[in-house]
Amino acid sequence: MFAIASAERGCMKLFAAAALVPPLGLLAQAPESAPTDIVIKNATVMTVTHGTIERGSVWLHNGKIAVAGTSVDAPAGATVVDATGKYVTPGIIDPHSHSALGNDINEATSAVTPSMMMIDAFDNTDKALYQALAGGVTTELLLHGSANMIGGQAVVIKNKFGFSRDAMLFPNAPRSIKFASGENPKRVYGRRNELPSTRMGNFEVMRQAFEDAKAYMATWDAYNAKVAKGDKEAVAPKKDLKLEALADVLRGKLFVQIHCYRADEFLTEEAIAKEYGYKVRAFHHALEMYKVGDKIAPTGTGIATFADWWGFKDEAWDAIPWNAVMSMREGVRVALKSDSNDYVRRLNQEAGKMIHYGGATEEEALKMVTLNPAWIIGVDDRVGSIDTGKDGDIVIWNTDPLSTYARAEKVYIDGNLFFDSSLPGLGTTHFHGVMHQAGFDGADDEDGDGQ
Amino acid sequence: MRRYFLVAGLLLSSLPLTGTCAAQVGPNDTALSPAKMTAIVGGKLLTVTHGTVENGVVVMSAGKIVAVGPAASTKVPGDAQVFDAKGMTVYPGLFDAETHLGLAEVGSDQNSNDLAEPSDEIMPHMHVADAFHAETVRIPVARLNGITNAIVAPASQDSVAGQDAAIQLYGRDRDAMLLGRDIALAMNFEGGVRRKANYDGPAKFPTTRMGLATQIRQAFLDAQAYEAEMQAAAKPDHKGPEHKKDLKLEALLPYLKGEKPVVLSAYESYEVEVAMGIAKEFHLKVILNHVTHAQNILDEIASYQVPVIVGPIYDAPSPDERYDAVYSLPAELQKRGVKIAFSSLGGSGDVRNLPYAAGYAVAYGLPYDEAMKAITLNPAEMFGLGDSLGSLDVGKTANVVVASGDPLDVRTSVKQVFIDGHAIPMVSRQTQLRDQYMPLTKKN
Repeated sequence: MFAIASAERGCMKLFAAAALVPPLGLLAQAPESAPTDIVIKNATVMTVTHGTIERGSVWLHNGKIAVAGTSVDAPAGATVVDATGKYVTPGIIDPHSHSALGNDINEATSAVTPSMMMIDAFDNTDKALYQALAGGVTTELLLHGSANMIGGQAVVIKNKFGFSRDAMLFPNAPRSIKFASGENPKRVYGRRNELPSTRMGNFEVMRQAFEDAKAYMATWDAYNAKVAKGDKEAVAPKKDLKLEALADVLRGKLFVQIHCYRADEFLTEEAIAKEYGYKVRAFHHALEMYKVGDKIAPTGTGIATFADWWGFKDEAWDAIPWNAVMSMREGVRVALKSDSNDYVRRLNQEAGKMIHYGGATEEEALKMVTLNPAWIIGVDDRVGSIDTGKDGDIVIWNTDPLSTYARAEKVYIDGNLFFDSSLPGLGTTHFHGVMHQAGFDGADDEDGDGQ
Repeated sequence: MRRYFLVAGLLLSSLPLTGTCAAQVGPNDTALSPAKMTAIVGGKLLTVTHGTVENGVVVMSAGKIVAVGPAASTKVPGDAQVFDAKGMTVYPGLFDAETHLGLAEVGSDQNSNDLAEPSDEIMPHMHVADAFHAETVRIPVARLNGITNAIVAPASQDSVAGQDAAIQLYGRDRDAMLLGRDIALAMNFEGGVRRKANYDGPAKFPTTRMGLATQIRQAFLDAQAYEAEMQAAAKPDHKGPEHKKDLKLEALLPYLKGEKPVVLSAYESYEVEVAMGIAKEFHLKVILNHVTHAQNILDEIASYQVPVIVGPIYDAPSPDERYDAVYSLPAELQKRGVKIAFSSLGGSGDVRNLPYAAGYAVAYGLPYDEAMKAITLNPAEMFGLGDSLGSLDVGKTANVVVASGDPLDVRTSVKQVFIDGHAIPMVSRQTQLRDQYMPLTKKN
């Protein structure tokens, strides 16, 4: 409800943005290569996995973390960054974003659109990426909106702002697909008097989609069996992008990321997943997980939740800011997410609130915006902590990143400096152009547009 | 709603009670009886007006602060209840300069929404006090983070949206919580209020900023004419037709006379200039609101010599601006001598997060003491409540917060809130839900 003014302003921004013609030619052409060796010295290093190293150093070699410790054995020619009095963390990771997708968040013409590829809408010059980078965000999961029960397939990016679209993609990241249930699909299709206008409709649409996918898979299985037997007359079934995508869910090839809020919906979604034999990677929003955390923890499903958002709709009415820590204590893997071009700029503060609401330790709080979101995206073996062999995605903060007073001063991705607040102008090292501005504020649910 | 009260009822008997008071959750029961004399001892006092006292005492009696000072020299009366604040930080209740508290409950539910009257743009006769829902679930949630006072303003859909109320976030009912009805006029001169531009039906004036400006001017001219007519009609030798009361025009009169402030919202520099031009034309007493994208005229804004409710600082900079162009705005205004205040609008609009906006402004250059002032004394003064609110001073209303540490830090927990000297129950619908489900966790 508090979004009324901002939604209006969002409309105006749309008009303003129209005047900014994209001067594509101005983008950085050749990515500058990073120094082979960088040593960040004398910092408070928060590793996320193995405690905090006081007056510690981090050595980045060829874009990877070589080692972190009280002293590191870096070569003499390394670029040395003195971080005395500063804090160092892994890059912040946002597991739920709609940034840089223009106004193409929802293909809301059908409740089942699994073949929509968010990469086809990805605009790598969106200012939201820059502003997130300046908040220490190095990896984002860009998701389809929540208008549809089964939305599209996500794109995982590294926030190498100034690089080309292809160079910003997270290499070999697992594929994720967005599902949604509850008020958003109800509202979007309900106001057209179409299925699904209710939660009963919601879940029936899903079940039917998977029945269709099973039938489709069966036709292919039959065909493949014939071919295997040497049947030269066998006619291949028609390839159907939608059913192929659903089949990939059933084949376990897609991480299922589900937008839903209520405790009963988590249980329903898990039951449907069990019925059709796929795994849920994470519930997103999940504001009522504190009610059933003990039942969801054994499934292994994680959550990507807001720190303290509440009350913007009926299904967010039972939201409490202790949700994240209470769910964590039940054994659920908990990440915080922005779902917003605004909050993505200070996810570190959202993590800090978890110390206030529920008494998380600093490491537990930081994990909610680094390693745990990395796991939700499926890239926790490569990012999310300061460990030898992981990607050189590092943020240097002026002070404790979990405090209100923290500012990201330098942001490295793959050992390459992308943001330096001490530089004049934008503080970007690779971006030298004009940014785009989406007319949309990046919020999924705040103003109930079903995104 | 029925479901909620059922839950609350079940919990009353089993809740552990916090702080010094054995109050119940319900409709502000403690507020029915006079507050006991209480002394908060041993805490670090952030007085706002006279610095920090490391080991201090605050004595409250009959709803007022009756003593403040160092423990060494401040006597704790023998009959006072003692609240031990050793290791804690004690500061005046926070004051939010613009909220919609009590005007909406569930965001998406239009039935619980009295945010603005959308039928016309010039609506000075809308009194938010008439819609203020004192029992909103949102007030206890906000006050648990130390917010004790707020301005309740209509949403910014109309160019003249209505009149604000000042509230205390605790009291037995609406009348006790309303500190001031009609204490300011909410005016908006921003692109977003041209909603008739997208009017679903025949186009209706005004659809442009020129239209909005003309309409506002005409309204004030009409009010001036109305007053002249009213004065003429009051003369004993008056012969013309009898004066007919017009509530809309009458509502503008205190503002035309400069008796009360107008909260004038504008974001862009040219909007600020046009709006201030209108305000000068009619000699309005202005509190500027937002000025979020007016960085290029900050000296000019300072020259107006009006206070500014700055931000929300979470508004995104334009694509050609540095990432911190808005974060640094409070510091830049304060540096130029402008009296600033913060409001919780913006971001998720959650009132409880007010202190964090002030803290973030500190990260971007605002001196700490000025940030504290901007969420306590400054807004109180802007709205004419500086004599009773906004600092730890003898004679002021006993709105005092005790927290685990720095009030501006997201990691800090508020331990006890005193409003009118009452140790309020540290309970909200959200703590009730937490406690209802907490045993689940403890079992493991």
